[in-house]
Amino acid sequence: MGKSGYVVRRLLRTIPIVIGVTLVTFLILHFTPGDPVRIMLGPYATQENIAILKEQYGLDHPLHIQYITWLGNILQGEFGTSIRYNRPVLELVQDRVGITLMLTLSGLFISVTLGSVLGIFAALRQNSWLDYLCTFQAMFWISIPGFWLAIIFLYIFGLQLRWVPIGGLTGFSSVILPALVIGLQEEAWFARPMRAEMLGVLNEGYISAARAKGVKYIRVVGIHALRNVMIPMITMLALRLPWVIAGSVVVEVVFAWGGMGSLLVNSVLARDFPVVQGILLIIAITVVLANLLADLVYSLIDPRIRVEGGKK
Amino acid sequence: MNTAVNIENIEKEIKELKQKRTSQLFLTWLRFKRNRLSMVGLSFVLVIIFIAIFAPLLTPYDPYDTNPFRRLENPSREHLLGTDELGRDLLTRLLYGSRIALQVGILIVLFEGFIGITLGLLAGYLGRWVDEIIMRLVDILRSFPVIILAMAIAGIMGQGLYNVVIAIGLVGWTTYARMVRGKILSIKESEFVEAAFSIGESTPSVILRYILPNVLPTAVIMICIMMPTALIASATLSFLGVGVQPPLPCWGSIAAAGRDYITRAPWISTSAGFFIMFTVLGFNFIGDGLRDAFDPTSKRN
Repeated sequence: MGKSGYVVRRLLRTIPIVIGVTLVTFLILHFTPGDPVRIMLGPYATQENIAILKEQYGLDHPLHIQYITWLGNILQGEFGTSIRYNRPVLELVQDRVGITLMLTLSGLFISVTLGSVLGIFAALRQNSWLDYLCTFQAMFWISIPGFWLAIIFLYIFGLQLRWVPIGGLTGFSSVILPALVIGLQEEAWFARPMRAEMLGVLNEGYISAARAKGVKYIRVVGIHALRNVMIPMITMLALRLPWVIAGSVVVEVVFAWGGMGSLLVNSVLARDFPVVQGILLIIAITVVLANLLADLVYSLIDPRIRVEGGKK
Repeated sequence: MNTAVNIENIEKEIKELKQKRTSQLFLTWLRFKRNRLSMVGLSFVLVIIFIAIFAPLLTPYDPYDTNPFRRLENPSREHLLGTDELGRDLLTRLLYGSRIALQVGILIVLFEGFIGITLGLLAGYLGRWVDEIIMRLVDILRSFPVIILAMAIAGIMGQGLYNVVIAIGLVGWTTYARMVRGKILSIKESEFVEAAFSIGESTPSVILRYILPNVLPTAVIMICIMMPTALIASATLSFLGVGVQPPLPCWGSIAAAGRDYITRAPWISTSAGFFIMFTVLGFNFIGDGLRDAFDPTSKRN
């Protein structure tokens, strides 16, 4: 009862955010200095093309009518037509989204694994040189721009050592480097909550009790502590998702994978606004849904949220 | 006689207390100074500031002087880091690049700080529907990856230094708004604000004399902590071609140009990235030290 109430409220809270996201995506077009259609089509546009595009955007109508028309089209799956490719935006994205998704997920996987391991070690050896080293290396990685780390890795491991293939996506081995770049940059965000939570849990009475009972150290840490660390980790996962997506977009451009990232950057440079808006909207909605999912997941695993939800 | 000693002691104590109060900032500085890493960071940043100011004295070349006969030269005694694809001295461009980087970085943190702190103050102090609207706006903007939305805005507005600042600022203010709002909410509840109201202080005077001074340190730390993000975001936009445009010497676009010559002249991208890393690392060390210095209780718990 309480739980379903929480779920419903959480779903309702998502609606204004989704509407806001579409509004921001729509309004971006109006940041152009001047007539967006003329800027999109360039100086050699024919009157006919201008008229067609104006019609498509409904630019002759007042702003709110434009928005409603645009939103109506989006809801029907009509994201418009790319000016550069002359193909539906959704089709262009569908061809490329898999690459970006794979990179995002493998990057997240590496960062969570690496972060958890480092966080646990740092907590078990609190204030030792290992602990400080973990903190320091994390600071080091986040101080490096992703594109540069990608270039350096490509140069060292691809061009010099020839351990991994360069140029494009060719099988599993070509995923390692880009995913590692994202993993290293994001690892710190998962190591920190892991360390803090582990320290908290390790000082709890029940851990000493379990130890006193003769349960092996690994088991105590593994079962009791890790269960508690789930919630902060899921929160962090949802929180970092936009950054990881942005990271994959940039890294993918450097590695010339031809995914959604390259499409986005090239469309921005070519002023192909329907594509830019489409990709922005898809990414933002993904993030909103991921946040929703994270909240719902911890309403399942954390009894405190259930109770709170029931009371209100 | 006994009482006289007591009074003397009390007077001494009051004196000490007064000294402590006036030297709060000094104490913070002492705590900050004790953190070796933050001193390293401070020296990094000072080096970059020094380079930015004295760039013309540090190099005999002009960052815009092209030479078609001396393109992509290897590092030599004449050109310590070689020349770039247009025959310009690379080191000179990187040294002048610190001016662009610092200028863009500072403008971004000031711009986004201004928006974020103002909206955070409004949301936290006024509460109710103002708070609701501002925080929904924060939720909405945080659904977009900062770099991607900023890239779209910069691309649509057209490239250029100030458009980078506007694009990143319009997207990046949400962190400030959240922090400042949180701080205000906790101060509003505190006893000294309640006490101020109860002795008849007016609302504006409470805001100015009790709330703002307590929010200010948070705001200052925020601005320092956000500097690395601003620097990396602007460098990334320039790298992708939607930021600061050549021929302006910007580290991000120098790294991008060097990528095309990575086999022939790997030092171009490498050294440009190194300058970014050096600066960002400096600010990160400082930010970390500041956080600990202003809030010693939060240290490594």
